[in-house]
Amino acid sequence: MTCSEFQRELPEYMEDGGNAELQSHLKACASCSGLVTSLESIVREAHYLQATDEPSPRVWNAIEIVLRQEKLIRDPLPRHSILPSLRQRWGIAAWLVPAAAALLVGAGILLYPPAKGGQNANNQAPGLRPTASAAKLASDQSDEQLLQEVSMKAPMMRAAYESNLKDVNNYIRDAQESVNADPNDEEAQQALMDAYGQKSMIYEMALDRSLP
Amino acid sequence: MQRSQYATEWMVVGLITLTTIAVAETKKEYRFDVGAKSKVSIINQYGSVSVKPSTGNSVVINATTYSDRVEVDHTQSGNRVDVQSHLLSGATPENSRVDYEVLVPSDASVDMESATGPLHAEKLHGDVEAEGANAAIDVRDISGSHVHVKTMAGAITLTNIKDGHVEIDSVSGDVTLNSVTGPLVRVSSTSGRIQYDGDFGYAGEYRFNSHSGNIDATIPDDASVDVKAQSVRGQVLSDVQLQPKVHTSFLVKEGSSFAGTINKAASSVWLRTFSGKIHLKKR
Repeated sequence: MTCSEFQRELPEYMEDGGNAELQSHLKACASCSGLVTSLESIVREAHYLQATDEPSPRVWNAIEIVLRQEKLIRDPLPRHSILPSLRQRWGIAAWLVPAAAALLVGAGILLYPPAKGGQNANNQAPGLRPTASAAKLASDQSDEQLLQEVSMKAPMMRAAYESNLKDVNNYIRDAQESVNADPNDEEAQQALMDAYGQKSMIYEMALDRSLP
Repeated sequence: MQRSQYATEWMVVGLITLTTIAVAETKKEYRFDVGAKSKVSIINQYGSVSVKPSTGNSVVINATTYSDRVEVDHTQSGNRVDVQSHLLSGATPENSRVDYEVLVPSDASVDMESATGPLHAEKLHGDVEAEGANAAIDVRDISGSHVHVKTMAGAITLTNIKDGHVEIDSVSGDVTLNSVTGPLVRVSSTSGRIQYDGDFGYAGEYRFNSHSGNIDATIPDDASVDVKAQSVRGQVLSDVQLQPKVHTSFLVKEGSSFAGTINKAASSVWLRTFSGKIHLKKR
């Protein structure tokens, strides 16, 4: 089994552990093994984020609005899920969509921490630090994977995507600092959501390019 | 004598090159009859899309391809026309360019995409959506419609958009708005510059946000606005005399923020950046 054949079957592997042939390739291939580890890390972090602080319905509404605006989620299609169609077009890169969505979910949770009696923002900050750094790590890995895909599909576009991702990550960092400084500042919250919206737009545009 | 021979050789090479290009270039026209308020979608990978109004109830698409590595797919489902550049084996960004010149009924809604662009739409009454990572986007003379534009690095220019619901997202492309008014005009940018020249209409909501891009707004004496501006780390300037507001949602700090009204304050204007400079100018 080749790496590309494994990557075509990756969604099945992530869902049910795959068949013996997939598992055998995984044991023998460091590249695919590393990829699966990264994906499992993202999935794990998403669960961790959810378990750490269950956000209010407002968070989910805000995230859903952004995802719909960015066309990362759409109304359900009659028979097909979005994943197979993305997988056909982009293979392994299709996993960048849920990765971007996980980042947005992470942003929402960091943005709207639930109020806790007697706790102020400063008391919450240390508890959030590991989550923030995990989210940053997942973000860096997703960015690098996206850039690799862009390099393969349209090498001339890589520099532009790299530069713009860097700008947007700086935007996210500054907006996050503003929210941390004053968690009740609605404008800072809006800026953070805008910044993540810009990042998901970059992902969407990169994934829309469909060279055969 | 030798110089003359070189010149002749170069002319032959040039002629061969031009002939090759002419042979590779293929133009095709596609026509579709549609009813009122049709929907036209042009999804291009690389190359331009230009949309203008037609005289009748027909959609006319002229597509120019430059290699056999790309073909134009088209479908019509009732009032909806979908056209897409279909890349074939061996396609690259260089050889898969398609240029589209499109005529649509003026009430048609148009959706156009291209990574490289440029994208252009004018003189329409239907909704316009334009998207392209590096595409320069120019939309002008649109009224009573939604205009949604997205780019990563392409420059965006909107001119003479009346009564529009305008939403613009650009990461690093500069955004220029000339005479753009409507109930909602929102611009979100990371590092691109935002320039607005107009009167902000009447009873509209205008929100311009950026991270490091400068924001310039130039308004006439008779503009009627309630304006707030804030730069977290940059400078804020106003050449316009504002009536100060008693209550604001943020702390007004000279040099980095201001809030005030002009005339009857009909429209709400909110300019915000992290490290860019904001300048409100008088026309």
